[in-house]
Amino acid sequence: MSRSHKKSEELPRVQRDENVLRTKIHELRHLRDKLRAEVKRRQARVKACSANVETNQTAEISEQQVLEKQKENVKAILQAYRFTGLSGKLTSRGVCVCISTAFEGNLLDSFFVDLVMEKPPWIHHHSIPVFIPLEKIAAAYLQSDLQRFLFSLCEYVNAYSGRKYQADRLQSDFEALLTVPLQRNSLCNLLSFTYKVDGRDQSFSFSARLLYEDLTATLPTDVTVTYQGMEASTHWEEHRASHEILFRTKPLHQVFASFSKEVEKLDLSLVS
Amino acid sequence: MAFEAGGSMDAEAREVRALEAEIAALQRRCQELPAPGEKPSGVRKSCQKLPQSDSEGWESSKDLRSHLGHLKSELSFLSTLTGFNIRNYSKKIEAVTNTEVTEEGTTKVLQRHRLSGNCNMVTFQLEFQVLEIQTKEKLSSAITDLNIIMEPTEYSELSEFACRAEERRDLLMFFQSLHFFVEWYEYRKHTFKHFKEKYPDTVHLPEGACSHCMEIHSTSRPGFELVVVWRIQINEEGKVSPKLDLLTKVPQRALVLDKNRVIETAPSSFQTLLGVLGIEAALDSLIKLLCVGNN
Repeated sequence: MSRSHKKSEELPRVQRDENVLRTKIHELRHLRDKLRAEVKRRQARVKACSANVETNQTAEISEQQVLEKQKENVKAILQAYRFTGLSGKLTSRGVCVCISTAFEGNLLDSFFVDLVMEKPPWIHHHSIPVFIPLEKIAAAYLQSDLQRFLFSLCEYVNAYSGRKYQADRLQSDFEALLTVPLQRNSLCNLLSFTYKVDGRDQSFSFSARLLYEDLTATLPTDVTVTYQGMEASTHWEEHRASHEILFRTKPLHQVFASFSKEVEKLDLSLVS
Repeated sequence: MAFEAGGSMDAEAREVRALEAEIAALQRRCQELPAPGEKPSGVRKSCQKLPQSDSEGWESSKDLRSHLGHLKSELSFLSTLTGFNIRNYSKKIEAVTNTEVTEEGTTKVLQRHRLSGNCNMVTFQLEFQVLEIQTKEKLSSAITDLNIIMEPTEYSELSEFACRAEERRDLLMFFQSLHFFVEWYEYRKHTFKHFKEKYPDTVHLPEGACSHCMEIHSTSRPGFELVVVWRIQINEEGKVSPKLDLLTKVPQRALVLDKNRVIETAPSSFQTLLGVLGIEAALDSLIKLLCVGNN
C-alpha cells in the first residue's frame, strides 16, 4: 500500500467527504461561470442581430420607398409621351407604338402599330385605317429609318384625324346651315356640301367642293364654290370668292362659325 | 469537531444544491438562445412578418429594382425612337363639377401638366392644362392653356412658331414640328460641315458648324464672294421646309463688266439649280464654279 493511499484511508470519512464536496463545489462554480458567460454571449448576439435586422428593415423600407417613388416617376414620364404623338410599350418581340392624334388642342383618337424588332423590322399588327397608305410608307422607311417611318405615319394619321374632326364638327354644329348634307369619303379628303348664308337683304345658297390632295395636310389644296341661286345680282360673287379663300385658309368648322357671327352682326344692325 | 464539520458540510451541501439549481437554469436558458454559428431563426421569423404587415402589396426591393430597370430601359428606348427626351413630368388633377340643370351627369376634370426635356439641342419647358368633359354620350379632352419656354432663343423661326403653337394650344403640332426642325437643322449642319471639309480654302462658315449661312470665297479673285443663306421655315400649319437663297458679293468694277447680267440673275438661277439638282448637288456645283477660278 502507498503512503498516499494509506493517508487517504487514514483520513476520517468526514474529512474525505468534505474534500469531495469542496471539489464538487469548485467544479460546479466553474461550470456555472462558464454557462453564465455563454448565456451572456448568446444574449448579446441576439440583441446585436435584432438591432441589425431593425436597421436593415428601416433601411430596406426607406430603400423601398425611394425605389417606389422612382418607379412611379418613370411610369408617369412614359405616360407623358402620348402628348408628343408617339408613345409605346416594349413587348417580348419588339415594341407596340401608340400614335396619338389631335387637332388644335382637341385630343382625338389613338392608333397602334405593333412592331417586331428583327433585322429588318416588320409590322405584326396595327389599327391604322385601311385607307391610310401604310404599306407605301413602310416600304419607303420601315427597313432603313424607323424614326422616319413613325413620324411620316404620324403625319398621315394625324392629318386624317384632323380632317375627320372638322367634318364631324361641321355636321354636328352647323346642320342648320347645310341644305344638302355633307358628303365625304372615308379618308375625309374629298368633301362636298351645299349651304346657305344670309347676306344683307337676301340669303345665298352655295355649293362647295373641297379636295385635300396633300394627305398630310388639314387644309384643302383645291376649293370650288359655286353659286346655287337664280338671281343675277352681283353681290353673290364677292361672297363666293371670299368663301373660297376662307375654306382654303381656315378649318372648316371655324369658317362656318364666322358665317354665324356675320349673321349675328347683321341682326344687331337691323335692331339699331 | 465532528459537529463543526457537519455544520460546514450543511453549508457546502446547500451551496452545491444552489449551484446545481443555477446551472440547470442556465442550461435551460442556453438552450433557448441560438448557439453561435446557428442562424437566429426566432429573429428571422419576426423579420419576415414585418414587411407583410407594414407594406401590403409592396414588392421586395429586389423585385422593385428589376421592375424599375425594365421601365428605365423602356424609357430609354422610347427616347431614342422619338428623339424626345422627357426628363421631368408632373400632373395635378382638379375636379370641376358642372351643376347646371341642363347638363346633368356632366363632369369636368381639369388637369395641370408640367413637362420638361429636350429634343437634341433644343430644351423645352411646357405647362399646359387639359380639360376633360364627360357627358352621357362621350368623353372629350382638350388643351385649354399652353405655355412654352424653349432654349436656345436665337432661332427666331422657333420662337415665332412656339408663339403660334401657344395661341392654338396645339401641343402635338409643337412636338411634331420641333422634330422636323431639328432634323433639318442637323442636316444643314452636316451638309455645311461636309463642304467645309471638302473645300477648306473656299468654304467659310462665319458662325461655325451651326451657321445658317455658308460663304464661298474665290481665292484667286478676292472680293468675289457667294453667300448661301439656308433658313428653316415653319409655316402656319407647322410644316417645316428649307429655304435657300444666294447672295452675291462682287466688286463694283465686276458688276460694270457683267454685260450678261450673270451676277444679277445668279440668285434666281440658283433657285432653278436647287429644283433640278437638289440641295447638296446644287451647292457642290456652285462651289466648284468658284474653285475652277481658284486654279
